Amino acid sequence: MSDSPSEFSLSSLPIEQLVACHECDLLMRKPVLQDGESAECPRCGYELFSHRHHVVRRSLALVLTALLLYVPANFLPIMQLNLLGQTSQDTVWSGVIGLYESGMQGIAVVVFLCSMAVPLLKLLCQLLVLLSIRMDFGRSYGLLLYRIYHHMREWGMLEVYLMGILVAMVKLMDLADLSLGLGLFCFIALLLVQVWLEVTMSPHQIWEALSGEDIHAGD
Amino acid sequence: MRAIEAGLLVCHECHQLNPVDVDAKHQYCSRCGGQIHARRPNSLIRTWALLLTSAILYIPANLLPIMTVNSLGKGAPATIMGGVLELINFGMLPIAAVVFIASILVPTFKLVGIALLLYSVQRHQPMSARQRILMYRFIEWIGRWSMLDIFVIAILVAVVNFGSLASIEAGAGAAAFASVVILTMLAALTFDPRLIWDNTETDHD
Repeated sequence: MSDSPSEFSLSSLPIEQLVACHECDLLMRKPVLQDGESAECPRCGYELFSHRHHVVRRSLALVLTALLLYVPANFLPIMQLNLLGQTSQDTVWSGVIGLYESGMQGIAVVVFLCSMAVPLLKLLCQLLVLLSIRMDFGRSYGLLLYRIYHHMREWGMLEVYLMGILVAMVKLMDLADLSLGLGLFCFIALLLVQVWLEVTMSPHQIWEALSGEDIHAGD
Repeated sequence: MRAIEAGLLVCHECHQLNPVDVDAKHQYCSRCGGQIHARRPNSLIRTWALLLTSAILYIPANLLPIMTVNSLGKGAPATIMGGVLELINFGMLPIAAVVFIASILVPTFKLVGIALLLYSVQRHQPMSARQRILMYRFIEWIGRWSMLDIFVIAILVAVVNFGSLASIEAGAGAAAFASVVILTMLAALTFDPRLIWDNTETDHD
């Protein structure tokens, strides 16, 4: 930070004009961003802000799409297996049930949380947060829900599950007759929409909107 | 200049700056209401504890069978490494590489990497701050991918369900392995990355 005017002048600025990097605690002057721009910490490279156009409206559309895809992705068959005239189907839900019934309740709970419960709760939190901004209603619950969302982020593992489907298919290919199900395509679509949503819904804009600092956020 | 030197605390949850209140025992964020600390309390000790627990569980995770394939009355238990070797024998090298990386390389790297990170923060050696932050980000990002084998087992148990003809059961190794993955993820979350920069002598890099 040798190019900053003076390190001592920073602490005399009002708090609204300052920002500190969350990962390395470097204090700096808050940048002013236009739509589509983003700012990174000069010391450790962490993304401080990104400013997106119509963030609430676009995120809301993506959340609703993801929620519509959620049910078919989890309950329609991902693949069918045919072995000597017998067929069996696999859905995300049947995987959980299968583990539970084979006596591995602990792992069944972990798989249920990471592949079904957390992704759904994350989407519901995002939906309620966006609605509370849009309708200007229940902002304090919105803040709480958005905090909960940030704690769950790490534990939704749809992309890892998709890789798991791929590995399982390769392992089964030689064993029996395998065909893909509609659930797989819904699952891939859900994953893509969810990744797009995480990129679109820039956290600092949502926090500012929830705390009422950005009065045009709901537009 | 660090925020802590200017008497400012960053909220863990919403990244809002709050002026430090020296009298308060617990301080809460003015924007989101989350509890704020200058640094996460006992970050290093807690991370060590989680890391050591997962290192102990790492042994049964690799030695016990993660699943048993029952075919025509015969059961064949398979460990993690056994599954990789089986894929290599089928000639599925790319998938074997993915499973090997996700289930063997990544958990091992995480255990060693977090230990190295903690040691280097405590002893100011042997890595630069930049190397440490790259390592931290990599460990944080890669952690979830080790769940791959657990999901594969879940899918196989559900789909290979033909009674006495063929069926697959999960084994005790899978429970140990899932615990290792979860504990190392928690260890990465407990570690406060700001400690990496606190111990650097100069603020310039």
